[in-house]
Amino acid sequence: MVETKNSEPLIRVEGLRKTYTDDGVPVEALRGIDLIIYPGEFTAIVGPSGSGKTTFLNIISGLDRPTEGKIWIKGRLLEEMSDKELSDFRRDNLGFIFQAYNLIPVLTVEENVEYIMLLQRIPREERKRRVRQILKEVGLEGFEKRRPPQLSGGQQQRVAVARAMVSNPSLILADEPTANLDSETGGGLLDMMRELNKKTGMTFIFSTHDENVMRRARRLIILKDGRVAEDKQIG
Amino acid sequence: MLFKLAFRNTLRQKRRTIFTMLTMFGGFTLASISIGWSDGSYSRIINMFTRNRLGHIQIHAQEYLDKPSLYKAIDDYEAIGQKVQSVPGVLTWTPRFLAAGLASLENKTSAVQIIGIDPVRENEATYFNKKIIKGRPFSPQPAHEAILGKGLAEVLHAQVGDEIIIVSQGADGSIANDLFRVVGIAASGNQMADRTAFYLHLSEAQQLFVLEGKIHEIAIIVNKLSHVEKITRKIKTILDNNALDVQPWQEFAKSFYQAMKADVEGMWVMLLVILLIVAVGVLNTVLMAILERTREYGVLKALGTRPQHIFWQIVLEINIIALASIVLGAGLSLIINHILSIHGIHLPTSFTYGGIEFKSLYSAITPRSLYIPAITVILSATVVSFFPALRAARISPAKAMRIH
Repeated sequence: MVETKNSEPLIRVEGLRKTYTDDGVPVEALRGIDLIIYPGEFTAIVGPSGSGKTTFLNIISGLDRPTEGKIWIKGRLLEEMSDKELSDFRRDNLGFIFQAYNLIPVLTVEENVEYIMLLQRIPREERKRRVRQILKEVGLEGFEKRRPPQLSGGQQQRVAVARAMVSNPSLILADEPTANLDSETGGGLLDMMRELNKKTGMTFIFSTHDENVMRRARRLIILKDGRVAEDKQIG
Repeated sequence: MLFKLAFRNTLRQKRRTIFTMLTMFGGFTLASISIGWSDGSYSRIINMFTRNRLGHIQIHAQEYLDKPSLYKAIDDYEAIGQKVQSVPGVLTWTPRFLAAGLASLENKTSAVQIIGIDPVRENEATYFNKKIIKGRPFSPQPAHEAILGKGLAEVLHAQVGDEIIIVSQGADGSIANDLFRVVGIAASGNQMADRTAFYLHLSEAQQLFVLEGKIHEIAIIVNKLSHVEKITRKIKTILDNNALDVQPWQEFAKSFYQAMKADVEGMWVMLLVILLIVAVGVLNTVLMAILERTREYGVLKALGTRPQHIFWQIVLEINIIALASIVLGAGLSLIINHILSIHGIHLPTSFTYGGIEFKSLYSAITPRSLYIPAITVILSATVVSFFPALRAARISPAKAMRIH
């Protein structure tokens, strides 16, 4: 499955700005970004620390509100949604993979993966079937009853990938997903995500400064000082 | 999953959970024992006051209690008594003739309250014979016998076997006087009443005051103190007689009831103190938990958890701790209240309440000794966790996830 520019954009960003106040001093994290991302893309947002990668991901996923600008995801304008609507929108359309894995430590591997489907009120049998299937795909069969602290970093990130993908969201946002992994584990994880991207057509957007990620991405958006410095298709 | 998350979160910081549980457990147990103690003591006081003396419900001629008079008497009391007895919950009833007079023994004279009683019925209703500390009960048939209250016997220096002259005014205006032999001395427990009580056989009191067939009071004993008001209403309905006042003990012993009610209200102050203790303990737990898990709440929100789920998860977590504390506290307080209800506590010096002397007090196991502390603990836990939970529910996920 390859992204297609003939289809409707998955994400449209216009004039996006974000200003934080740090100890009373305004800090411009994003200084006017215009972007379109199509379904099925495997895109890396790259740039040095402080270039605005995480802020960009947070805003396009509705985790944070912009100071200025508009974002449409699947044709819906985020600024028009209430907190509750945003929660429901994220639940049904987005999957997240975080640098620090952010698994719920009191839940087992299968419960962590199952969590979003519970929010979606998917029937128990269907949930169990999907959990079994996705854990098999990410190579964590037999780890169902373990809790996150009992897993290695790579295994935890695989659980996070399974959790992000199990509900078949349209978009997966990964914030520095390989930052805490060695290059071999990180590379394996990325290959797995690329395979899933090809197989399912899910859109992946990564923020990274990892060469491993950049090499595998199909599109590179380079941010510098809160602006898009370069946007290029690869391969 | 909400419950699973909340429950497992309680096990994350075991030491903190145990500390919070101890606070709630202590608060619950303290409140439960206090209420059990209060209920036990007051029901004993009320019983002494009602079951053993005044009765739970009384019937008088209209306005007799406001302005007692020899002439405000009840006719045909046997028929009234039979109707009263037919009301479910009524155990027994007893008629009383009440009048004032002067009692003289040699050169001692004292004002007395003459109480004409039916010895059999009075004993059935208020265990009258058990109150006799010297001498014997009345003979089955009238025989010019009198039983004196302990205090009156002391005032008159009367002994069993002495003859006492009673002087008063009959209902027809004639001088009512007669001689009665003391057959017993009674201690009702009410020292004030015992200083004036002069018991006569009912029919002899009626003859003395020329009011044959009439009485002034019907005292009724019911099966449960808590049923008094309901049974009072039923008696009123069944008698359907405006010339009679049917009153529960809370009305005919109003000052006693109000004094006791004021004492019981002190319990709410104690509950407020307990509520504050629990609240401080819970607040500490909730604030620490939320501070530690802010990032986690951010993640849950990012995944699509609605704010209200975060809110309820925190409130539920605190209430799970509260419930566990209540179960443990209920177990301990039931054991303590049970022991205290059997053995009681013997007071080093006795005290009097409403004129009644108490040498020991007992606890009681009552539903409210469990549900009032339970509600107090649950309520304080919920209220205190409410605002921190609300804050956690409203936090921006991006901001929460920046916290390490």
